Amino acid sequence: MTKQLQEKDQFSGAKRYVLDPELAKIVNISRSLEMPLLLKGEPGTGKTMLAYAIAESLHMPLIVLNVKSNMKLIEGLYQYDTLTRLNDSRFGDSTRDVSRIEDYIKMGKIGQAFTAEERTVLLIDEIDKADTDFQDDMLDVLDQMEFDIIEIDKTIRAHHRPVIIITSNAKKDLSDPFLGRCNFHHIAFPDPKMMRKIIHVHFPEIDSDLMDHAINTFYQLREIDMVEKKPATRELINWIRALSTDPDFKPKQLAKGELPYLGVLFKKSQDYQYAANQVQRKKRF
Amino acid sequence: MFVEFFYKLKDAGVPVTPTAFLTLHKALTNGLISSLSDFYTASRAILVKSERYFDLFDQIFAHYFEGAELPDMEGFELDEIAKALLDQWLTDPQSVADALGVNAADLQNLSPDELIEYFKERLKEQTERHDGGNRWIGTGGTSPVGHSGYHPGGLRVGGESRNQSAIKVANERRYKDYSRMGPLTQSSMGEALKRLRNLVPAGPKDQLNIDESIYQTMKNAGDIQIVFDRGLKDRLKVILAIDNGGYSMDPYVHVVRTLFNYARSQFKELKTYFFHNTIYDTVWEDPARYRKPKPVAEFVRNDPDTRLILVGDASMAPYELMARDGSIYVHERSGKASIEQLRFLAETFPHNAWLNPVPARMWPYTRTINAIAQIFPMYELSIDGLEQAVNQLMAA
Repeated sequence: MTKQLQEKDQFSGAKRYVLDPELAKIVNISRSLEMPLLLKGEPGTGKTMLAYAIAESLHMPLIVLNVKSNMKLIEGLYQYDTLTRLNDSRFGDSTRDVSRIEDYIKMGKIGQAFTAEERTVLLIDEIDKADTDFQDDMLDVLDQMEFDIIEIDKTIRAHHRPVIIITSNAKKDLSDPFLGRCNFHHIAFPDPKMMRKIIHVHFPEIDSDLMDHAINTFYQLREIDMVEKKPATRELINWIRALSTDPDFKPKQLAKGELPYLGVLFKKSQDYQYAANQVQRKKRF
Repeated sequence: MFVEFFYKLKDAGVPVTPTAFLTLHKALTNGLISSLSDFYTASRAILVKSERYFDLFDQIFAHYFEGAELPDMEGFELDEIAKALLDQWLTDPQSVADALGVNAADLQNLSPDELIEYFKERLKEQTERHDGGNRWIGTGGTSPVGHSGYHPGGLRVGGESRNQSAIKVANERRYKDYSRMGPLTQSSMGEALKRLRNLVPAGPKDQLNIDESIYQTMKNAGDIQIVFDRGLKDRLKVILAIDNGGYSMDPYVHVVRTLFNYARSQFKELKTYFFHNTIYDTVWEDPARYRKPKPVAEFVRNDPDTRLILVGDASMAPYELMARDGSIYVHERSGKASIEQLRFLAETFPHNAWLNPVPARMWPYTRTINAIAQIFPMYELSIDGLEQAVNQLMAA
């Protein structure tokens, strides 16, 4: 079943994504074991981006299943479009054959990944939003790599086993049977060194003064306790973008404690005010 | 292989499963793992399914494999090999000498003991040069001494690997922050707040929405469809009483206050009071418990629908709770035992809950916790406990 991965197939990062070597190893192990990889971590640590990066670097199409809270598993597998069939049977102006139910079956995201002609990367985003039944049922499907379409009594089997990446935001654990079938990794928040690399990827021509000051200040701001939502990578990138477009801004201002565009970093009004107060207080000393 | 490691993890409380263990072996046989750091990454991804256990895993990994960082050269193993070498030497001196790359004649005049010492020395050199190999001496499969028996050190002995040494990584304990399973911390604030958001009243759907009913009826082609709305209900009033006396409560006071302050907007009214250990005649509005006293008896004036949430470790000397003069402060001597004041509060506010930062498994060992838990439904001050407490507070 399992194949040794060829050197060229090894995943080693993509253009806009800075990869932690440890994570690369885990991705490769999961691929070769053909097990889904469950990623957890703070928002903004690049869980979703990883799937895009894998798809890009392995030249596979990416199929994204965005899980919603009231989603039923069947929606991810296939859909029987009864409405179009009714319409066709009334007006009969389409090329579809009304008596063939198969013509009205549309594949959902998981179905698409199974029926694709080439191997795909299947990203199941934010699985914790759905209830536990959804999670367990889905893993059965992913385990067996097949599902039935009841309406036409047909079994869909995966042509190629997709590379499955599952992300979860919740700090609450998922169910045990679910966890048993996945490999697990928790993406920690990047350290300043890693962050410099990430910023560099996004802003190749950034002034090093600005980068130093911005990253220092950013990590100081993250130290502020009692904040509901700490700023993450995405906020930092936007903040640097904002700073670098402001012609009046000098990186030294940051060291002095003048922080423009704080609203880019703190998006909840209570957080914003609290952070602003803290910054003011620090400035005085 | 690594069965002992597996059981060490299990004993330490990391929930590992045999299936996962077999998967790890599959990864090993697939040749995916070629160094100790690979093994570290792979075994963690496969065996451990929650970041809460990463720290524990790191510690056990470091402990288990650090012993293997440098194999014990004076140990049993080396002696055995040296002895095997000696046997070999006695039957066929030439092949051993060739394997070691020395002149057989040079070794002729050594005594057996000296010979063994000499072999040991050579073996040490060999391990240092051939770290990671399974074979200790010789080339091309004609080694006079096969190093049989697996030793974890065989994976990678000492030295620096290309990447970071796995043990060093494990010893860094990068996941320490995530391992605090029990009480609420800063990092779990957002998650806790989500639980608290459920603390909103939901009336029955008993108000007829005429406009919507007409609209839906028309949409239904005249088939009457009646739409009900929820009756308007005022938001909740909440009284939060925190035990802020004593070091045991220090880490939690701030977290709990911030938590409820963030949720403040969803309450009609939030009052925070402080007490030390347990409640006697008064609680205080200021954290120093000095300036603004509030007699407990005055609570009867409050709306009985107010939700009362107490936070405290409920751990004290039994007399503080039971005796009439139990208070450690001399001015609080009304003649009512604290336990009666607590009962009075529980009767005044039927919707109540006590959050305790002490882990639930420790509760049976403290008498006062048991006594108080009989008055107030008690929950752990954790995310799950908070969720249960909110359910309890919202129950009709």
